[in-house]
Amino acid sequence: MYWRRERSVIPGFGITFGFTTFFLSALVLLPLTALVIKGAGMDWTRFIKVVTDPRAVASYKLTFGASLLAALINIVFGFIVAWTLVRYRFPGRRFIDAIIDMPFALPTAVSGLALTAVFSGNGWIGQYLEPLGIKVAYAPLGITIALTLIGMPFVVRTVQPALEELPKDVEEAAATLGAGPAYTFFRVILPALLPAVLTGFTLAFARAVGEYGSITFIAGNIPFKTEITPLLIIIKLDEYDYAAAAAIGCVMLAISFVMLLAINLVQAWGRRRISGAVRR
Amino acid sequence: MSITLEQVTKRYQGQPVVNDVSLSVAEGEFFVLLGPSGSGKSTLLRAIAGLVDIDQGSIALHGNDVTHVGARDRGVGFVFQHYALFRHLTVAENIEFALRVRRMKGAERRARRAELLKLVALEGMDQRLPAQLSGGQQQRVAVARALAHKPQVLLLDEPFGALDAKIREELRWTIRSVQRELGITTVLVTHDQEEAFALADRIGVMNLGRLLEVAVPRDLYARPATRFVATFLGAANLLLAQQGPEGIRFGTTPVDATVRQPHIGREHEVVTLLRPEELELSAQREQLTSSYLGRATVEELQFTGALERLRLRLLDNQNAVQTSAGDGAEGRIEATRPQPERRALPLAIGDVVALGARRLHVLPTPLSSFVVYGISDSAALELAQVPLLITLAARMKTRVAACTGEPGCTPTAMPGVAVTAAGPDAPARTAELLRTGANEVLLLNATTDVPQQICMYWLDEPARHATLAVAASLLRHLPAEAVCIATAPAGRRDPRRGQALRALLDARSEARAAHALETRTELIPGEAPQALGDYLASQPTPLLVLGSADIASAQRTLEYLATHLPALPVMLVYREARH
Repeated sequence: MYWRRERSVIPGFGITFGFTTFFLSALVLLPLTALVIKGAGMDWTRFIKVVTDPRAVASYKLTFGASLLAALINIVFGFIVAWTLVRYRFPGRRFIDAIIDMPFALPTAVSGLALTAVFSGNGWIGQYLEPLGIKVAYAPLGITIALTLIGMPFVVRTVQPALEELPKDVEEAAATLGAGPAYTFFRVILPALLPAVLTGFTLAFARAVGEYGSITFIAGNIPFKTEITPLLIIIKLDEYDYAAAAAIGCVMLAISFVMLLAINLVQAWGRRRISGAVRR
Repeated sequence: MSITLEQVTKRYQGQPVVNDVSLSVAEGEFFVLLGPSGSGKSTLLRAIAGLVDIDQGSIALHGNDVTHVGARDRGVGFVFQHYALFRHLTVAENIEFALRVRRMKGAERRARRAELLKLVALEGMDQRLPAQLSGGQQQRVAVARALAHKPQVLLLDEPFGALDAKIREELRWTIRSVQRELGITTVLVTHDQEEAFALADRIGVMNLGRLLEVAVPRDLYARPATRFVATFLGAANLLLAQQGPEGIRFGTTPVDATVRQPHIGREHEVVTLLRPEELELSAQREQLTSSYLGRATVEELQFTGALERLRLRLLDNQNAVQTSAGDGAEGRIEATRPQPERRALPLAIGDVVALGARRLHVLPTPLSSFVVYGISDSAALELAQVPLLITLAARMKTRVAACTGEPGCTPTAMPGVAVTAAGPDAPARTAELLRTGANEVLLLNATTDVPQQICMYWLDEPARHATLAVAASLLRHLPAEAVCIATAPAGRRDPRRGQALRALLDARSEARAAHALETRTELIPGEAPQALGDYLASQPTPLLVLGSADIASAQRTLEYLATHLPALPVMLVYREARH
């Protein structure tokens, strides 16, 4: 009952479950445990001191704040991009579709370099923003832009298939029932796509929290201002302070885990609502 | 009138999918649009709902023109084939959707919801999600949802398409009773004739974007006007027979048949409909109570419960028969008989029986079959391969015979539309065919394909009736546009202009009344053959239906067209003027 649901093409619940546990353990749980042990290697007061150091706290705020903001921006713009790609046929659609995946393939350091070139004070776009008092490169805004770039494909690629599967007749039904475009969008289309949007959000967010390569170029890495936690960890490592690096890593791990778990629970609830609580 | 459609046309990439459809549905009527897939019936329904824009024509609901009103403001209820329920909302929320949009108060909304759930027999299902319901239940919810805002018109697009037979039947009853109870004007689209018969007050049959016939189910079944309707609604045997002054003759045997149109002019070939259940089987010709058709051997027997189905092969007149079922095997005829009849005369495969027709219906279609005239076998064969002719013969489920100059092979002996190759000598040949008994001559090139436009032009008024009938018959089988043409001298003051205009309008109303055919009209300034030729030259792939009551003038016009428009296919319709 519990372990054996139905016969399937892949044999044996025992074997598959064994593999799952092994892989998760070897690749995810064990290294993370090692991290926690390393962090716990120091005594409690020093641990608290390291992780609550104002410089570290400022970096948490920046990292999670910018990641959250970037993920939010992405669900809006990623949605629009996905919508355009699914609903319209225009010349160059395949080309744009391919460009979406570029941030996946590019080494992130290259993205950072490219963004810096464009947004720095004398860059193509930066030179027009600077006189307006908008500083992008070497400022939190730049970090957010970099994280948005890194996370966008996740949203587009999760929303796209869901949007393709969304039946057109549902929108037509809403129209014949008297709903206007806005009402239809917010009450019919968006709720139906919410699980996909949330997944995209989660992926983009998770990716942004862990991002390092592109930020180091555009952020300028000014402590308390544009220093992100992953960078802080590297700095600690450079100082051979492995324990402190592990401690800060533990805090990142904890925050990330709590946030991802929360999003997953919301999602599971949403899925149950749509696919039906009773399995038949 | 609850729904009024006027000459509605919808094109996709230039191809008309709904072609000049006019229709009125009365208040409280249950109207069924029936047709094969791709006939344009769903598109027409969606046009009524405002879900697709139409290219031409107008749509009115309860006297208000809604042609340019969006789906949202038309106030119709629409039920989709795949339910289209909002899957993230409960049954209650789905049903209340239209009411929430209209900001109805909570208590009122709940009362209305309870009322609707009772109507579709789903009480107590309020809090379920669509995924927790069976297909039939989901469609009931969809019906309740479509009725929530008290629409004036309910439109259903193949609502039973995704359900299995048993539930289909049950839901059919529900929908019929809901419709009766509310008295709401309803249009349902289906491809299932049984469903159409069970539900409809009136049925409209569509094919290739055209609304072919509209009638109450019984009339449509017993007295269809077109071949397509005859064969699409139930099983049908189509027999080619001769209609002359003395009545209908099948081969050499005269038979009784209901004829709507009296016989005019020379004897000609007609298409008759014989339903399988109207066939009488008997061991001896003398025992038949109905008119004798011929002898046949039993080829196949099938037990289907209440009825026995037989496939018979006629021993004489073989080439005169087509059946709607099967591969169009010639000479094969289908019959059904109830069990008591089977017990009275048990039959086995190979037995020979005498066939009687209890009831034959003559289709009022002027085109029966085709006879290709060529100077040699190869020329005739080439002509029989012309794309347009192949398409026509296949869609009309009729035969193409050949005549290659052997003695006695004249239109009198070989009835049907005479087909001949276009070319410089074609006008003279056509005149000869007309003189020897042909009523219609089709002039084709080797590459003539399906036309986009069928232009009607008649040289003299007595030929108008036949021209329209032939064109209407062609248009039922070809997805082309219909245009009535008249020519008049360019001068505005010329009285002939007024006459031509009146003739056009008369023709248009005749086409509409007699053939349910919507046509465009064109009054071209200029003198007949030149003006006509110039107009046709400017049209993309036209086919000209040319009517004439005089062989000499027909020949003259054809000669002009043959020199100036050698690629133009022409269907010449000749009717002797009565003196």
